[in-house]
Amino acid sequence: MSDQNPVQEAVSVEREPVAGACSDCGKEELMRYPVLSEGGWYQAVKCQSCLHSESREPDPVGPVEIASVVLV
Amino acid sequence: MTDTAVTEPGLRDLSEEEFVARYGAGRFTCGVLANRGRYVAEHICTDLLHRAFSPIITFSQDFVGAIVGPPEQDYPLAAVNKGNVIFLGSLSTGVRNTVWEYGIDRLEPGDLLICNDPFRVGNHVNDMCFIRPVFHAGEIVSFVVIRAHQLDIGGIVPGGFSLMKKNVYENGLVLGPQLIFHRDEPVKELMRTILDNTRFGETLLPDFHTIRSCCALGERLVQDSIERYGIEAYKGAIRYNTDASAASMRAAIASLPDGVYEGSDAVDSDGVDTEVEYRVQVKLSKRGERLEVDLSGSSPQSRTSLNATALDAQTAVALAVKLVLDPFSPFTSGIYRDIDVVVPTGSVIGAGPPAAVMFYFEIQSVLINAILRALEAPLGERAVAGAYGSTNLHTGEGLNPDGTPWFSAAELEAQYGAWGATDAGDGNNHSGLATLNMIMPSVEEIEPRVPAMILHREYLPDTAGPGTHRGGSALMKQSLFLSDGDHYLVPLHFRTPSGSGVHDGGDGRAGGSWFFEDESSDASTPVSEFRVPEPDDFDGAAVVSGVVDPESGRLDPGGEFAFFGRKPIWSERRGSVLRWITNGGGGWGDPLERDPEAVRRDVRDEYVSIAGARADYGVVVSGDPENDPEGLELDLEATERLRREMTAERG
Repeated sequence: MSDQNPVQEAVSVEREPVAGACSDCGKEELMRYPVLSEGGWYQAVKCQSCLHSESREPDPVGPVEIASVVLV
Repeated sequence: MTDTAVTEPGLRDLSEEEFVARYGAGRFTCGVLANRGRYVAEHICTDLLHRAFSPIITFSQDFVGAIVGPPEQDYPLAAVNKGNVIFLGSLSTGVRNTVWEYGIDRLEPGDLLICNDPFRVGNHVNDMCFIRPVFHAGEIVSFVVIRAHQLDIGGIVPGGFSLMKKNVYENGLVLGPQLIFHRDEPVKELMRTILDNTRFGETLLPDFHTIRSCCALGERLVQDSIERYGIEAYKGAIRYNTDASAASMRAAIASLPDGVYEGSDAVDSDGVDTEVEYRVQVKLSKRGERLEVDLSGSSPQSRTSLNATALDAQTAVALAVKLVLDPFSPFTSGIYRDIDVVVPTGSVIGAGPPAAVMFYFEIQSVLINAILRALEAPLGERAVAGAYGSTNLHTGEGLNPDGTPWFSAAELEAQYGAWGATDAGDGNNHSGLATLNMIMPSVEEIEPRVPAMILHREYLPDTAGPGTHRGGSALMKQSLFLSDGDHYLVPLHFRTPSGSGVHDGGDGRAGGSWFFEDESSDASTPVSEFRVPEPDDFDGAAVVSGVVDPESGRLDPGGEFAFFGRKPIWSERRGSVLRWITNGGGGWGDPLERDPEAVRRDVRDEYVSIAGARADYGVVVSGDPENDPEGLELDLEATERLRREMTAERG
């Protein structure tokens, strides 16, 4: 909004650590975070070493909150 | 190049039996149907091009046509026309979101669904997404889609191209998923809402009817494909088409060395002040066939309409990666199969409500430049230099001397400019941004409609980034206004050069914009008495934007930055002249290795001056390029000596 004081700190996506090892490379570097890919938004658990997706849950709306979507 | 095992067998490795089992038809049939999908998209767009009234559709070609596959395949983008690529990346997700929210069970034959909300379908509110379901045997088997820029969609500024818009409420009419035609009849309630809240309804209304009929044509052509080849082959061909582009992109990603690559670029301002920088940061992590593009570290969403959504970020990532790695495969949603984009919500590249999203294409341009910079090292000789950086958009409005209103949007700025050089050759001098392959309207089309005369369009010497292959040259463009008017100017990348050189090439020169203000004219002043400034004349010009010498107003990299937003509206009298100089494109390769004969030709063509040939390329040319261009002489011995000296000075 126009009247807000600008927040000058950069914005980043938070990555939540997930316990366990990657089923592809074996490294214990799994993180959960939203990604945008073929098929739209997903909550993905990905290995930070080899980028293998351990799981990908579709998230139709994605992280942006739209007020009128509650009418669906 | 990859050091991670490639696991998936390629499409070409499948036997014919395996191929038929997977796609329900043979390779030949799938190829025919894939091409036919692209033909359908082209056909409906040709129809729209011929019949639309809006100049931004008919002349600028700011639209795209597409075929999106069925819900059971998760709405894949199967085919597109050679339209504006800025729409491509969000079509699949946009159609999925719109149909899901409207309710797929409510759709009937002859319906035309629309949505223009940037947070649902990407792009900006002017870019209306029209979606027609294609039924076969009572089942939706595809969607025919046209995404087309509407000349106006309401909001506080005609046409919408202004950074004065500070939130979604000032930006323009937001239309969530709803029908604009039901069973081929207009939904009059929605039509009234649109026409009562927008300008230029006499253009919008007939174009809505035209778009409906174009989509209906697309539906008939798709149904014809199904009748000829069968529904299983039709659906199989959509899967094949997306799988083929996924495989092509996968192979392209694998050609990059594994690693983490970072880059960034920024726009000058969001129009409020110059205190806050709007930067896009990119980190590309590549492992084997997988690519993750993380935009964390980017600036927060802006205070004005300088914002893009995550869907726009996804489009820009695809276009940048295709540009450098996989330029020839058809664009489908399959290219994202192995690319994850990580977008921070609330950033200038991933804005959320109530932020206004209008100049998303400027942020996309910055993102593409950041990706080109990040990939310079791993690409080596395949690196691509930076382009001119900003559309520098102009909107003007006012009253003609006879009292009638005039309006012009996106045609009197410097929207097209210089591209960076590549290993294949010099950069183009005058193309759209990588996201905007639109067409510049002709002078003959603009001048009868707008009270302006386009005085100059010419290239300026020594503005291109030097290189073995040089960048494109900056364009100088001047327009004389024949009526008083208010002007909205949005030049966003003059503070630093955007045309980054690669592979030892030099940067292109940063440009600027100026208004030669006429304080004394009135409606009776003859046009012949107006000042027509020559390209080297800066006397008395008001600097709109650029880094300039504050005394002379000339471009000076060591000078001061003039901030365009100090005047939200530039109110100018009849007789004023608007000047643009675009940024130059970046060079590729060491300029001392450029063919001296190519430099002589550049001097002949006035892309390079005699002094620039010597200073930037170590090439000694003599003569008079203006009056005797074919008489220029190239001194090869002196060139060799000079290049040896310049090489020695580098150490």
